[in-house]
Amino acid sequence: MTALRWVAACLILASLAAGTVADTRPADARLILGGYHVMAVDFHVHSFPLSWATLAPGETAMEARREGLDAIAIVGHNHVWASKAGRWFSQMAGGPLVLTGEEIVSAHYHLLAIGIDSTIDWRQPAARAIEQIHRQGGVAIAAHPIAQYWPAYDAQAKRALDGAEVLHPIAYGSGELAAQLRQFYNSAPLTAIGDSDYHGMGPMGLCRTYVFSTAETQAGILDAVRRGRTVVYERAGRAYGDAELIRLAAADGRLPRIASGAASGAAPAAGFLSAFSRIAGILGLTVAAVAGLATTRSS
Amino acid sequence: MLRPAAAYRFLAQQPQPRPALGGAWLGWRRPLLVAVVLGCTMSLITSASLTLHLAGPATFYWGFVPLAEIAALAAVCRRTRRTGPFGRTVDLFFAGHGPWLFWLIGLCGIWSFVPPIQAYDFTRVWLYGAGAIVIVWSAYIDFCFFRFAMGKKPARAGGDLLVQRLVSWTIVVAVFGGPAIVPEVAARLGVSFGP
Repeated sequence: MTALRWVAACLILASLAAGTVADTRPADARLILGGYHVMAVDFHVHSFPLSWATLAPGETAMEARREGLDAIAIVGHNHVWASKAGRWFSQMAGGPLVLTGEEIVSAHYHLLAIGIDSTIDWRQPAARAIEQIHRQGGVAIAAHPIAQYWPAYDAQAKRALDGAEVLHPIAYGSGELAAQLRQFYNSAPLTAIGDSDYHGMGPMGLCRTYVFSTAETQAGILDAVRRGRTVVYERAGRAYGDAELIRLAAADGRLPRIASGAASGAAPAAGFLSAFSRIAGILGLTVAAVAGLATTRSS
Repeated sequence: MLRPAAAYRFLAQQPQPRPALGGAWLGWRRPLLVAVVLGCTMSLITSASLTLHLAGPATFYWGFVPLAEIAALAAVCRRTRRTGPFGRTVDLFFAGHGPWLFWLIGLCGIWSFVPPIQAYDFTRVWLYGAGAIVIVWSAYIDFCFFRFAMGKKPARAGGDLLVQRLVSWTIVVAVFGGPAIVPEVAARLGVSFGP
């Protein structure tokens, strides 16, 4: 049993070493198109604790950098403190821009409040919540607005909404849900948003929004969302958002190429060290579980 | 793990093991293993590799799970006025965590080898399908722990299991889920709040 424990320890340490060495930050690929800074943003990212997510705000911000995102909004479920912690940590560690925000989770709707500083109560109709978001200078984005949430968005709420998630990972799992997201987006003049609704599983920014901002700041991003200056690319290459910006990006060619890499949903990171890390890690954990839980006289 | 009744009957008759690192280590070694597996899981399901910057901090803050379980076990021991070395009790209790650890390792396997788009579907099956089996199987293992390792009568062992689950799961769900639990439950029950 002692030998097994040594094997487990060696495998886990080797996996950690390989994974850490292979873990490189992608090259900064800042893009300027039509005079705008094109920023890759994920407006729907959760962190531990209190939001069913696995990584703390600091690790979440660093993970965003690893996934090549220029900005993320850490949106706590009915609280804003996680976004403030994430922003502080990211500023200290030289990470990406972290927008403050909250996902207002009510029984009838889920609403992203981006750019706010105080928690907004979930026990109110969507229209009133949106009004409060605007009063704080933020933008309101309908989170995964599938059919079950439509009744919460009356005409007043829809007029006041700034954007809606037209692309979300649920769209890749179900054609019907994908159609519902598109139908909601097309039902009003809304800014196109693509978000990963990251809870810790899989890559952050699998679905992302390309924001055409006048400045690489929170104010610049919020202004772009208010004015509809975004483009979202589906895995298949289909684009949503401002038609003029889509044409501009297509003519230039760089953004669709970058986007197809980010949204491909391809197999986990390639390379010998990454592959070794995951195989040795899983083997090491399995051996550790067997050896660590074994109940023998020698234990 | 496969024959918990026989295993705990056997262990109850054994003298307390003496680990090389001292008696206090006995109560910490298996909770620490659970924390390490949790921390490594968070790294593997996020980046499909083990990295120090993810696994290290995650092991630290996900350590709240074994701590919550130890707190719940302490509540049970206090309730039943059980005496004896608590470290040994903790060690035996955590020896029954096999189903949970292998369930976590399975989750790592999904996010390490399956492309993300398909991994979401696999995860749903794993979380709810395999998760349900793990909940039932681990409950049986822990029932055997209270019944045979702690020497309780069946009804009492069932009661202890219930208290342990109630205390530890309440802490874990509250910390993990937070303030959205109320509206989420309300949505499922069709209850309305506010105007």
